[in-house]
Amino acid sequence: MFLKHIDLTTALRPSYLPDEVLLFVQDNVGLYEGKYKLPNQQNGQVYLTSHRICYVDKDEPRKHSAALDLKEVDRYEFYAGFFKSSAKVTIVPKPLRRSALHNRVMSGTGVHSRHSTPSPTSSNDAYAPPSGPPPASATWVCNICSFSNPVPSNFDPAAANAHTPLPPCLACGIKPALSLVLKAAITSASRPSPSPNSSQPGNINYTFSSASAVTLGLVDPFSSPKPSDQGKTDTTVSFQCPRCTFSNHPSLLSCEMCGAPLLSQDVPTTITPSEYIRILSQSPGPIKDTSQGAVDFAESIKISFRGGGEKIFYERLKSAMTQRKWLLQDAPPAPKSNRMADDNSPGGSPGTPTQRTKTAGIAGLEQLGLNMRKNNEILIGSAFEDLEALMTSAKEVVALAERFAQQVNGASADVTSKENTILAESAHQLGLITTKDIVGSGGGSDSLYFSELARNLAEFLTDDARGVLKRAGGILTLVDLWAMFNRARGGVELVSPMDFEKAAQMWESLKLPVRLRTFRSGVMVVQARDRTDDVTIKSILAWLQDLHEFPPDREVVWDWREFGRGVTAQDTAERFGWSLGVAEEELLMAEEQGFLCREEGLEGLKFWKNYIGKTDIAVLQKREAQEEADAILRRLKDTGLM
Amino acid sequence: MATTTAPPATAFPFPREYFFPAFFTRQPNLTIHHAQLTKWSSLVLAYARHHRIFRLALSAAAESDLFFNRALDRRLAPPDIREVVDFMRKDGRAEYLQPGDAGSSSTSSNNGGGDGSSSSLAAAAAGGGGDVVLIYWRKPQEWAALIEAYVDETAQKGSVLTVYELTEGENTRGTEFHGMDNGVLMKALNILVKRGKAQIFGSEDSLGVKFF
Repeated sequence: MFLKHIDLTTALRPSYLPDEVLLFVQDNVGLYEGKYKLPNQQNGQVYLTSHRICYVDKDEPRKHSAALDLKEVDRYEFYAGFFKSSAKVTIVPKPLRRSALHNRVMSGTGVHSRHSTPSPTSSNDAYAPPSGPPPASATWVCNICSFSNPVPSNFDPAAANAHTPLPPCLACGIKPALSLVLKAAITSASRPSPSPNSSQPGNINYTFSSASAVTLGLVDPFSSPKPSDQGKTDTTVSFQCPRCTFSNHPSLLSCEMCGAPLLSQDVPTTITPSEYIRILSQSPGPIKDTSQGAVDFAESIKISFRGGGEKIFYERLKSAMTQRKWLLQDAPPAPKSNRMADDNSPGGSPGTPTQRTKTAGIAGLEQLGLNMRKNNEILIGSAFEDLEALMTSAKEVVALAERFAQQVNGASADVTSKENTILAESAHQLGLITTKDIVGSGGGSDSLYFSELARNLAEFLTDDARGVLKRAGGILTLVDLWAMFNRARGGVELVSPMDFEKAAQMWESLKLPVRLRTFRSGVMVVQARDRTDDVTIKSILAWLQDLHEFPPDREVVWDWREFGRGVTAQDTAERFGWSLGVAEEELLMAEEQGFLCREEGLEGLKFWKNYIGKTDIAVLQKREAQEEADAILRRLKDTGLM
Repeated sequence: MATTTAPPATAFPFPREYFFPAFFTRQPNLTIHHAQLTKWSSLVLAYARHHRIFRLALSAAAESDLFFNRALDRRLAPPDIREVVDFMRKDGRAEYLQPGDAGSSSTSSNNGGGDGSSSSLAAAAAGGGGDVVLIYWRKPQEWAALIEAYVDETAQKGSVLTVYELTEGENTRGTEFHGMDNGVLMKALNILVKRGKAQIFGSEDSLGVKFF
């Protein structure tokens, strides 16, 4: 399986592997598998990282997001777009070992032909993901660009007329003439291939589908592959091209002569005939059937860039493929303590375990402490040495950075892609890559930057390791967060307050687990989504209730058992770990909702649980109405009418 | 200037809120504030009824234990007291005493909404005149009904009574309006006059009332 389902973070971004670095993001992309659109992956963002290409769907991110590992990529092609078709990057996976696949196909067939009954369970075990129908074997050649297109599977030559919708050419987008397609369909139908449409009685083995070169090359699928009947791998078997009948080498994926696919996109599959027909009837035109899933491992993946950004993506992909960072993942860690070992080795290696076990008691502890101090010393020493090395080369680094900056500034539209690549690569090597660089350009590049920033922020906030929100009592002013966030970025790629606010305001629309709240005073705070006003009020009231139980610190003149105690914003901030401003705002919010009342005295503003009570306007009006009615009744009685 | 007659031996039982410190601060929340005003107004009326207070001098009352809880060291600030009085006035439970209105018969009728506010404005314009408030723990109509009932019961319809007789006389001892404030009494009597149930005659100090 080339495309894999991926896990997303709380902010609906792909969760990165260790050492994985984000290189590029572009929105408004769609995925193709081979020539077919994947119906569920037509609008989303593509994340290029050093290890993977991740697609995150916009509507159903948790369901339809997928990724492919760069290490499984064989080659990648760039397609600049043509008329109505947008620019695409095609990614071809490394071919599965053809002989092995061939063998499996053959042996599977052997089993079926021997027992002459399909055994779905066994074949399901062998090929877990069931694949759908193969694309129609018939192809028509475009008159304009001479691209060979598949005839749609639902195309019925008998029923077709001038009004039958025909898919345009996949390469140039020009619609074919009906006669052309008709001819192609009839030609293919007249071929002696066991088409899935032709109903065959008894046990039909759909493992052999029309496009399979093996099947097409041989008249009778059930008896002919003789070598495999013995269950042996025979690489000398040649595959006859279904189109030009050229005998190809078995490890070829497409015909050497005419380029027709040999062992086509389909994975051998065993499905019941009824199911098969259902799937077939459902598949309309070039949109890939959902039941097929994203499992075609022989098929290439296309990423269609509808909002631009394909060039940068391609360049970054190229550099990622050359760097091959994923190899580092399994590599042993870089040797760090070489120098330490060198220092220790002449002294008869005091760090060896045998030596350590000898010393015990206080002497052992001392030895341990000594070792630790020595380690620290070396560590600090080497660290500062690095720093000094950097200082010496600082001039060059600065000059380099300046040159880059100049190039970027002076770059006009005609900057060649090569220069761009070098620039991007060098900047990346220096670690100077910024989110703005990562984010692809295009129509809505600004909003993409903000949405990425918003997601980044949400991740920063909900990161359990940092516990930013938790430490701040679940609520944090936006200004504090801004300071914290920029500090966490280590002085590089700082975010301006304007951008920050804009990003924070996108949380709501991006359905992220944090929310921005504006108090009446205009103070903006950040809260977890589940922390509503009700929850806050409840916790404040519970605290005030507790104050009825515990005597106050000093004598008070009122009955604290009855009324508890008034609390200041300071008390509240201390109690809940909020900042002072937040505590004040929360108290005011609770007051506004009528749960607290205030007392202004010499000691400042204090908040109490509301013992004054509320007048419900509705209740009041009801009572007034009732009184009026009573008065009328009384008067009526008085006057003797009742 | 608070007119109290024979303060009762028992102390006034203050409500629970009186011992709640936040009760003495004006609440910004509208619904709480309304509740606060309602409670203050009922407290003032209950206090006035208990002590038989008919007129309240606001400046003096601010120092009294009505608005000043000495145990808590909390007091209602004078602007807030005025707000409470205004609230009571809208409810028909209080009225600013007009200058030159004291005790004398006045044509100013009782508390109509617009009329009341204009009189308060006049009081405010008059400065010191707005300090004294008539507290209607019984509304003038209710007083009028009480007096009418008394006259009916004692079969004095058609006879002439002096105002002094009504409030200080031996015969009215034991009735609620015994020792009543003159200003309030005159308002009550004026209501009866309007209804055609009584007639007032005589000069300033020796007023007589004839009931029909």
